[in-house]
Amino acid sequence: MRHFKLIHSLIGILLGLSLGVQAEGLVVVANIKEPVKLSREQVRNLYMGASLGQDLTPLALRPGNHLRTVFNTRVIGLSEARVQSYWAQMRFTGRLKPPPEVQDAEELVQQLLQKPGAVGYLPVGLELPEPLVVVYDLGL
Amino acid sequence: MIRQAAQIVILAGMPTALMALEVTDRFEVSGFARVVTGYLDHAEQSYEGYEDSVAADQQTLLALQPSYSVSPQLSVTGQLLAHSSDQRKSGVEWAYLAYRPSNAWQFRAGKLRTPFFRYSDGIDVGYTYAWISAPSQVYNNYLFSTFTGGSASYQYTWPQLALSAEGYYGSFDGDIYISGSRVDVDAKVNDLRGVVLNLRRQNTSLRVSYHQGDNITDLPELDALSQGLAQAGFQRSAGSLDSRGNINVLQTALSYESLRYFAEAEWVQTSTEFALTPELTGYYLMAGMYVGEFSVHATYAASAYGNIEAESELRPLLAQPANPIYPLAAGYYQLLERIPDGSLDSYKIGARWDFRLNMALKAELAWLQETSPRSGFFSTSEQGLYDPDYDADEHSAILYQLGWEWIF
Repeated sequence: MRHFKLIHSLIGILLGLSLGVQAEGLVVVANIKEPVKLSREQVRNLYMGASLGQDLTPLALRPGNHLRTVFNTRVIGLSEARVQSYWAQMRFTGRLKPPPEVQDAEELVQQLLQKPGAVGYLPVGLELPEPLVVVYDLGL
Repeated sequence: MIRQAAQIVILAGMPTALMALEVTDRFEVSGFARVVTGYLDHAEQSYEGYEDSVAADQQTLLALQPSYSVSPQLSVTGQLLAHSSDQRKSGVEWAYLAYRPSNAWQFRAGKLRTPFFRYSDGIDVGYTYAWISAPSQVYNNYLFSTFTGGSASYQYTWPQLALSAEGYYGSFDGDIYISGSRVDVDAKVNDLRGVVLNLRRQNTSLRVSYHQGDNITDLPELDALSQGLAQAGFQRSAGSLDSRGNINVLQTALSYESLRYFAEAEWVQTSTEFALTPELTGYYLMAGMYVGEFSVHATYAASAYGNIEAESELRPLLAQPANPIYPLAAGYYQLLERIPDGSLDSYKIGARWDFRLNMALKAELAWLQETSPRSGFFSTSEQGLYDPDYDADEHSAILYQLGWEWIF
């Protein structure tokens, strides 16, 4: 029954994606049992490699994805080139590695469902399969 | 050298995957490269190795960084560097074992880069900063780029603030660099330790660090003079030529970055107990603007030495040429007179074009002006670091540079 609900939700997401959810808004969702709300600064810190004191692991979309551009611009506050630059500095000074990247929102949902504590950003308006919950809503 | 640069460019033109090539699930290779050309419009002087002919063999480099994950918490990383400059050694730039028991903590052990300044442990990765050449008043003062030891870093966040703290401890044995030139001395520093604090709030970051080391470098060329002074009973003068003692480095940097603008300031002060290396203060102020894939920036940088504290006990002898101690006294003060004690101002403008996701082209023009003679950053082509027949003129020159940066 649970698998059925999951597949049903995934189909809903895929339909939504295929219909072209082009809104500029996005939500940050997490695979967590205890719902929390994060501030924009906390989301930004999480995606810049900082620890929030909780076992949260950020996942990102690949460069070129429109939603990634929206996220970088409106949440991180940096252009893609500057995000690349930041992570190059972290990587080549041995401090941090960038969040793992996935191809698109569909793959991101699959990864989120498989990894407890995983965090990702998705377009606003998607029906989220359990146990994914919204931890930050950027709005439109 | 041009051939080496061309090889790097050809390599970059090969079909490339995204950054960090995953060879297996556990093994990945990333890297960076840069091709930098420069021309100094001064017929007699050189600056950071550049003279009045176009050169690409001072900062051009290629580095590979293989990393193997033994487990999700444990990894081994190395960095292999091929550098075009004869002032830099090619080979294993660093190699370390990293243990990350949680998202907040990381421990590293091995050969590490010394995190003196904001960019000093990643200074070879030109892609990560706006300039082609980071301001020399700050970045050419750091004496040793790596150390052997360990470091611990910790991260903590508040709802509106992120803290990153790092402490390290180790030792250094190798070449030292002053004003970008390798000094022919086998330097040794024990108890090298430091603390680096980074605070970030929204688009603003503050970095404060303090570093200290016990310098036990022996300078054999000073031994004869030092021993002669000691035997003649001038212990204070002899002692002032003892290069051993504490090295202290204090640094702070403030930066701001938004989608449209960026600004940065950094200030460093280096002091030692060695009379021949007076306290050196350097800083820069930089502001810039993003315009799509392009950015432009302007930087002002300055440096100034503290007073060289020469012992006065030998001064009366300078008026007594017939005195048998006179040659020692004259040699002592002549040596001190050769130490750079001037200051250098520079005004730099530059542009950057991020024409691909992982590549950038840069152009830069720096006007260098000594505001008092012998800042130590200029040198003559023939004499290298110090010019024994220096004149009192203040040097000025313009350095033109073009650069290509690549990360993979």
